[in-house]
Amino acid sequence: MIMIVKAVNLALLFLLPFFFAGLINRVKSRLSGRMGPPILQPVKDFVKLMKKSEVISVSTSLVFIIAPSITLGSVIVAGLLVPMSGGSSILSFDADFILFAYLLGLGKFFSIISAMDTGSSFEGMGASREGTFAGLVEPPFFITIASLGLLGGGISFSGLMKIPFGTGDLTGLVFLMGVVALFIMVIVEGCRVPVDDPNTHLELTMIHEVMILDNSGPGLGYLTYSSWMKMVVMGSIIANLIIPEELYYAWSLLLFLAVIALLAMVIGIIETVMARLRMTHIPQFLFFMTSISIVVLSTIVLFISGGLK
Amino acid sequence: MELFFYPLAVIVSGGLISLFLPEKFKGAAVSLAAGIGMVPLVYLSLEVINSGNAMGAAADFSYPIGTVNFAIDPLSSFFIILISLMSFIGSIYSMEHTKMYHGKGKGLSSHFFFLSLLIASMLLLAAVQNALLFLVVWEVMSFSSYLLMTFENEKDGVYKAGINYLISMHVGVIFLMSGFAVLAVKTGSYDFNSFRSVLEQGDLESVGIFFLIFAGFGMKSGFIPLYTWLPGAYSAAPAHVSAIMSGVMKKTGIYGIFRFIVLMKIPPPEIAFIILAISLITGITGVAYAVVQKDLKRVLAYSSIENIGIAGTGMGLGLLGLAYGKPPMAVLGFTGALIHVFNHSIFKPLLFFSVGNIFARTGSVNMEKLGGLIKPMAFTGLSFLIGSLAVSGLPFFNGFTGEFMIYWSMFSGLSKGEPFLSIIMIVSLAGLASIGAMAIICFTRAFSITFLGSPRSSYDMTPENPGLASRLVFSIQIFFIVIIGIFPQYVFMFTGKIVSSFIPAGHAAAIPGYFSALGSLSSVLFIFLAVVSILFIARFRLLRHRAPSSFKTWDCGYQAGNTRMQYTGSSFAAPFMKILRPLYSLTVRIDRPAGLFPDRGGYDSTVEDNLEKRVIYPVINGLNKFLNAFTWIQSGSTQQYIMYGLLFLIATVIWIMAA
Repeated sequence: MIMIVKAVNLALLFLLPFFFAGLINRVKSRLSGRMGPPILQPVKDFVKLMKKSEVISVSTSLVFIIAPSITLGSVIVAGLLVPMSGGSSILSFDADFILFAYLLGLGKFFSIISAMDTGSSFEGMGASREGTFAGLVEPPFFITIASLGLLGGGISFSGLMKIPFGTGDLTGLVFLMGVVALFIMVIVEGCRVPVDDPNTHLELTMIHEVMILDNSGPGLGYLTYSSWMKMVVMGSIIANLIIPEELYYAWSLLLFLAVIALLAMVIGIIETVMARLRMTHIPQFLFFMTSISIVVLSTIVLFISGGLK
Repeated sequence: MELFFYPLAVIVSGGLISLFLPEKFKGAAVSLAAGIGMVPLVYLSLEVINSGNAMGAAADFSYPIGTVNFAIDPLSSFFIILISLMSFIGSIYSMEHTKMYHGKGKGLSSHFFFLSLLIASMLLLAAVQNALLFLVVWEVMSFSSYLLMTFENEKDGVYKAGINYLISMHVGVIFLMSGFAVLAVKTGSYDFNSFRSVLEQGDLESVGIFFLIFAGFGMKSGFIPLYTWLPGAYSAAPAHVSAIMSGVMKKTGIYGIFRFIVLMKIPPPEIAFIILAISLITGITGVAYAVVQKDLKRVLAYSSIENIGIAGTGMGLGLLGLAYGKPPMAVLGFTGALIHVFNHSIFKPLLFFSVGNIFARTGSVNMEKLGGLIKPMAFTGLSFLIGSLAVSGLPFFNGFTGEFMIYWSMFSGLSKGEPFLSIIMIVSLAGLASIGAMAIICFTRAFSITFLGSPRSSYDMTPENPGLASRLVFSIQIFFIVIIGIFPQYVFMFTGKIVSSFIPAGHAAAIPGYFSALGSLSSVLFIFLAVVSILFIARFRLLRHRAPSSFKTWDCGYQAGNTRMQYTGSSFAAPFMKILRPLYSLTVRIDRPAGLFPDRGGYDSTVEDNLEKRVIYPVINGLNKFLNAFTWIQSGSTQQYIMYGLLFLIATVIWIMAA
């Protein structure tokens, strides 16, 4: 059984990113009154990119060639560590979220230096913003995960506490805040509104899109796919906080897919109803995540020390 | 024990012989001696670590010093391995790097002699168990490093940085001396082992003494706020000396702190909390300043401060684990600290050596003047990249192994029963996470501004031809960086042996339990390697029959782009600097183009360290003013000095009579 679950999860890891991206676009177009591309359009886009050849800038070096593979590889392996359907991850060991965070960091390191490799000032701008903003969400990510782990008594993704449905205690609220904090992380990692707008076409206001201006063909395909996958991976962490443990696998799988779909829809709705924040306001938005995570931490500590019932 | 002293004699005689050799062979003599010395030292140390039995010897000196004990226990052995290995590597690189000074009358004789003296003194330090001799050796080390550091003394600011270093070291020695003096008075002996009886008590007095000693060693290692000498000294020193100072000599401070931690057995939790707090602040401040530096050596210097902070964090966690009786935390914290210390002495010299190569070729270490260097200097560029990945603590490289242990130690300190400790642990997690995130910003910046893009000024673009010595040295370092990175479980077991020699036996029992978890970490890293290779090969196969076209970088349709329009290091750091604005003092000078046909304009920005400028300098200035009030005592007239002597004698006689 566990092998089947793992196989399903592996398939989900590779397939869900396409649906996720397609669903966001579908929600956005429907809400703005357009027909929109089919949900599986991202698959076609990906295949199209894979069939193309690449244009390589004359100022680049080997770094530019290897970076897309390392970035995508790091996201895939990070995805293997995260529990998906049925609450089980493909690989799991103690303190695995440290490796998770640092693998994403490795991917980021290479995407930054690959952007800098082109010598373009636009890409430099994007790279420096990406590094700074990603740095701001790292501490609250650890605070949130450790707080939830403290309550669950485990130090791996599978040991995180689940939302105690129906017990009527206050911790449910804390979890809600934890979910919000992690959702902000999904937005930052996936480079979505209000932090970054994937549809903008003005170089000065972009973050992630401007970093991949000079990528093309399979390299661009890898990078785009890795950014979709990152959202799914982060979304799976949220889904596993919400889904109760003792369900039948079929229900748990359905619920998992539903939560992921819901996240995609929420992202789509946010992108329809609001614009990207001004660049100077983004750090404030990210500090919001830090404050939520600190609230999560303090509430949990109050709870375990018996101050809250 | 002879196996320990003979190699030291070999190293010093290598230095002596080099005095009489022609310029070309001086470096070779010293590195040969260091190499010959290294073999028995490493062998001996491994023996001690594997058997767990300390070795000892005693020597009798005349009156003030008395009998001196030497001992090599697993802790000393660890540092002896580190010092001898990295000094050997450092001296080989020095041989290559000093070639550019040949025939310029630069006084290479004394340089190499003091290099060998520095190596020998650092090694001896790890074995001396007597406070007085320890201080003597400590001084030899500080002084010879001062002479090495001021090698390029014809340059502006080198002496200033050197004097700053020398004075700071002596302030540090005053702390050490007072700590040792109190201990010696209380115990009646200068032997480290006899200090145990006072330090073990764990009362306020022993905490005070410990912090005196901590301040003394912390000055050498560069803990905040005792770091002000460090950036100046490392950037003034030639690259090979900075590498030895940062990679090896700095670690003697950590060794000293460890030596006294061991004496405390179960420390009071206050000590642990304070060390943890100081270390995290050191780490965060160090890397925050590293991000904005333009001088590559200063980037590395501030990053050394950061890394000492990380190692100190591990130490603090280990102590907390002991104080709270949590074996996993203690074991992981101490091993993390030791592994990180070792890692740092591998990747930081690699980075300094790379910067040395850059300096040798371009004559500059200011990243705003460099760029595109990976094309002419592929070997150096790749080494700098690997060093950067390691120092950012990214998986697959050695920096991650140590940081992983330290994170893990924090996670294992979380428990429902101890809310206070849990809060501290989660705050520390956030602190370490922000250090990691900032290190990524810092080193992507340093690497990409220096090596990627197009050159910002003109220099020799012919491909470099690294000498045999650099090839060897760099490959040894890269080998260690990768091996420690991908096999954390074996590194942990090895370091675990050292840690178990100084923590209570009940705690040491926790060590074997981590082998398998670290084994799975290692296998995930191999899976990562496999995935990346598959992806890379897939991309390669896809593109096999499609010729890639080359084109210039997208410039938004602008036709007159030039390389000066690339993103600069300062602009890269700007969004980050805005967030931590109070830490920096920024001076901007703008020459606006004027008139109808403006011919030139300019923009120049300088970032200074606000902690130094606004907090530490005022304190030092205040101290200066206060001490100036006593200058009349030192009048310069001999009669007055004789009178002081007389007054002192009279006072002593009265005091003795009264007692």
